[in-house]
Amino acid sequence: MVRWKSRYLLCEVNVVDRSRLLLLDDRAVAGAVKAAVARIHGDYGAALCSIRFCVKYLNAHTGIVLLRFPKSCYRILWSALPFITSVESRGQKIPCFLNCLHVGGTIRTCQKFLVRYNTQQLHRMLPKCKNEEEKQQICKAILNCTLTGKDKEESEDESENEEDEEE
Amino acid sequence: MSVFMDLNLCSSADRSGLRSLIETAAHLGFSTVAINYVLEPTAKKKPEIPTPTPISDLMDGLPIVQGRSRPIRVLNRLTVVMSDASHFRLNAAEYRHFDLLAVQPTTEKLFHAACLLYDVDIICISLTEKLPFFFKRAPVNGAVDRGVVFEVSYSAAIRDSTLRRYTFTNAFSLMDTCKGKNVILSSAAEKALELRGPYDVTNLGLLFGLSNGDAKEAISSTCRSVLLHAETRKTASGVIYTMKSSSESSCQERAPPECEAPAAKRAKPT
Repeated sequence: MVRWKSRYLLCEVNVVDRSRLLLLDDRAVAGAVKAAVARIHGDYGAALCSIRFCVKYLNAHTGIVLLRFPKSCYRILWSALPFITSVESRGQKIPCFLNCLHVGGTIRTCQKFLVRYNTQQLHRMLPKCKNEEEKQQICKAILNCTLTGKDKEESEDESENEEDEEE
Repeated sequence: MSVFMDLNLCSSADRSGLRSLIETAAHLGFSTVAINYVLEPTAKKKPEIPTPTPISDLMDGLPIVQGRSRPIRVLNRLTVVMSDASHFRLNAAEYRHFDLLAVQPTTEKLFHAACLLYDVDIICISLTEKLPFFFKRAPVNGAVDRGVVFEVSYSAAIRDSTLRRYTFTNAFSLMDTCKGKNVILSSAAEKALELRGPYDVTNLGLLFGLSNGDAKEAISSTCRSVLLHAETRKTASGVIYTMKSSSESSCQERAPPECEAPAAKRAKPT
């Protein structure tokens, strides 16, 4: 069997105020992407964007979005993504931009990348701890995360959030 | 993964804004950025050349670049907007404070001169309005031969729809003339939210008429050659480097071997 080939774009939503990330939801991001594509590429782009485009995964805590595009036209759709300046969600306009981290052929490769990326983020954030005690607390919090049956990635996401709150 | 650079961040008096710009750039994975100071001479009074703020004043610790272990490198750059030939003075002492030197010609004659004569690193083209001249092959080829690059900045395209049209028009006509070589893509961002990630910028090059490889070069290796070009501007043909000796310093002996390295890397002297 031959499957439908897609490209998965792993994007990071960058905002100024991180607490507003929690307002994001799938439909808001999908709407913003569709509007941007229609603005840049017109009706043709909007037509391409309605074939198998969807938001596969959204982590509102870390602001990670996984978008699926058809492989044949992902480049033209991707070129519209830099023109997103805000996402409208729950009646509020969140100024933000999307930063593409990884382009993968399957969700699996994107997930592998994301695990590695989040570990990297943790290492970047750890030196920002104010004192040794805080560092210990975070390390303990990571070790205490037991999500049996779920993947490793989520536990790492959680530990990041804890640290964000402490800062 | 190659080294990404963004050679145009707008300077502003607002220090915290500039700081957040640099932090965002480091987060996105740019390992070198340049802060741009614009000098716009008018006919009446003599303009004051801005002096760059030292980076150490700006922030105490430079942020670490995403995916690397080094802190971000911050340079200073001066852009001279020219509407008359007298606006750009060759070898002015004030220009020496800056690491990079760029001109933005507004007439065809000055564009010709900037491409073939002036000792600059970057030629900016104001992409946000209808250009008063066409790009001709001869000056553009001359600039490519001399190692001077053209700059296309994308943040105006993000801001507004009319500006976007002009940007695409002008970028396309530039790419037609120089065939995608010697072009750098930069942000010209004023706020942190106007920056874009390096992979997004590469893909944006598709809309500017660059091929895939050329677009990637436009934010990595071409930028590097700009930096090397800027280094040789301070030397005589990239061979000899002079500096003022402070009376009893013995660090003079160390100077020559240091500057031989960039000279050896350079293929052609200016």
